[in-house]
Amino acid sequence: MNATRWSLRWRSLRHRTAQTFLAVAALGAAVALPVVLLSVGGGVYAHELSSIEHSGYSISVETAGTHGISSGHALANRIDGIGGVAAASPLLSVPIDLFTTGGTVVPVLAEGVIPNAFQATQSAAERALLPSSFMLGDPSDTVHYANGTYTGASSGQLLLSTPLVQTLNISTGASIRLAPSSNASASAPFTVAGDFGLPPGFLGPSPLFVVLLPLSQLQSLVGYAHSPSGAILDEADSIQVAMVPALAANPAAVQRVAAEIQSLVPYYSVVSLSQQTSEIQNAQAVITGFYVGLSSIGLIVGLLFLVIILLRRVEQERQSIGVRRAIGVPAWLVARGILVEALGLTLAGVLAGVGGGVLTVELFARYGSGAVSEIAGLAVYDPVTLSLLGAALVGLAFVASALPVRRAMTLSLPEVLR
Amino acid sequence: MSVPDSTTIRLERVRRVYHAGEADEVRALDGVDLAIAPGEYLSIEGPSGSGKTTLLNLLGLLDVPTEGRVIWRGTPVERLAERERTRLRRTGIGFIFQRFYLLPTLTALENVELPLQANGIRGADRQRRARLLLAQVGLSDRERSFPHQLSGGEEQRVAIARALANAPQLLLADEPTGELDSVRAQQVLDLLEAAHRSSGAAVVVVTHNPLVAARAARHITMRDGRIVADSAGR
Repeated sequence: MNATRWSLRWRSLRHRTAQTFLAVAALGAAVALPVVLLSVGGGVYAHELSSIEHSGYSISVETAGTHGISSGHALANRIDGIGGVAAASPLLSVPIDLFTTGGTVVPVLAEGVIPNAFQATQSAAERALLPSSFMLGDPSDTVHYANGTYTGASSGQLLLSTPLVQTLNISTGASIRLAPSSNASASAPFTVAGDFGLPPGFLGPSPLFVVLLPLSQLQSLVGYAHSPSGAILDEADSIQVAMVPALAANPAAVQRVAAEIQSLVPYYSVVSLSQQTSEIQNAQAVITGFYVGLSSIGLIVGLLFLVIILLRRVEQERQSIGVRRAIGVPAWLVARGILVEALGLTLAGVLAGVGGGVLTVELFARYGSGAVSEIAGLAVYDPVTLSLLGAALVGLAFVASALPVRRAMTLSLPEVLR
Repeated sequence: MSVPDSTTIRLERVRRVYHAGEADEVRALDGVDLAIAPGEYLSIEGPSGSGKTTLLNLLGLLDVPTEGRVIWRGTPVERLAERERTRLRRTGIGFIFQRFYLLPTLTALENVELPLQANGIRGADRQRRARLLLAQVGLSDRERSFPHQLSGGEEQRVAIARALANAPQLLLADEPTGELDSVRAQQVLDLLEAAHRSSGAAVVVVTHNPLVAARAARHITMRDGRIVADSAGR
């Protein structure tokens, strides 16, 4: 019978098809949930960390609100003067309206940048998306800015994102107008200098309609150059700081520069990407703990279901168990039978759960809408995590089997064989 | 402690009380003395509730007495741990039940192999012995059949083969023909008698059926938990 031991187990499982199916389904559902959560959650964080690791800049200067950085040009210049800094790029993002000569109005996201600093703080992959005409006629944005007077000549050039160009069917050299609201009379004229590709979205849908223009020209357009009283605002959302290549991978040098920047602007948040990485990893640990906690509820329900099924089987097979014990089958062999059955059901449940979880994620990635599809597409199936999950469930299933085993061991033989 | 004893099993002043001290207390056995010698063939008769099955359970070491002694081949066993009693059942006692109690997921051959497997007999030897036993009960052609594919008579013959698998010194049968028609009942009784003759085991049959009891050499009658008649005069 040794050679056919597994076929006997299989026969026993088949003997109670509905119970076997229910137990495997319950355990499978319990396993699928953590597979989905941990794979997608892990994938999102891995993607986030990878994005940071491959950034072209090492330090970010930010404020709590939007457009909270004042004197963006001047501050960038001061940061540029710190030893080890390759470039400091202030960024301003504002939703505005684009008017074509044909009268079409399109809401777009305008990104104000200092072209040469912006290019220097982009990763190689991001730089590859920018056209050769990227400098927009004023590489350092000093002509129009004119030391904070904003009285210099405007280059009047901008770049459009490729999807915007395709939608509006606009070619290089075309004229368009930009305005802070749907009011063409408050608009300023620009010439399309080219188009640029969009990097993959960090998470969720990325804005497809984007225009890039010199920072000072955007500030003037939307009123972030001066206050109503005439004081210089020169606002930006953030300043990205790139280190010289020799120091970019040196955490101590990055920390030193971050500390120097912080001393310049003690009221702003100065964050190195290694700090961001650490914060993300901490957040990941917390979220993973939450996922594990959430999943454990499902796993406990699955295990309870397994125990109920096994107890039910012990009840249904009490005569068979009684006969085995009556004819002298040792108790440990009877117990082993129950444990092996629990193991078989659990392993089948784990396999079904992992398969079901992976299938669910892949279906979301393929057929989900928008952000769901994008997030599911980032899923990472870590064999170690999945193995640990399976091993933990098998271990818990063994512990949970103690109750049915005890029930089988305490059956009264005279009663069950009556 | 083992002492020289010529009996296969001996019960001394055995009482078995269920729910002792409670309102629904039942005295299933009340001071039973019984000695069964090797090779004896005895029947236990009596009305329902007289204590026959309780007595059989004690003889089969499936139960322990509330009071008194049970001595298996010279060894007191009433205080033995379940593990030890299981070992004694495995090596010395065969059971035949009224409802056959074959394991439904095992074939006839595998059912007969079960006690051999429990006794540590492995592989080909176990299968050879099981096939021989099935041949003895005339079921060589049904070894691959599952219990639900067998008739009642065939099931009981498989159960007899299973009971004989480990060459027991004591064979216990509880209403072995209770579920069978008269023709099949006779076949089963013939087999039991043949097994008794060939194995030399003591056979104890609990029955209501006078025809079954008639096959036995010694007749015990029970009433209200006591042995009220023993043809051996003991």
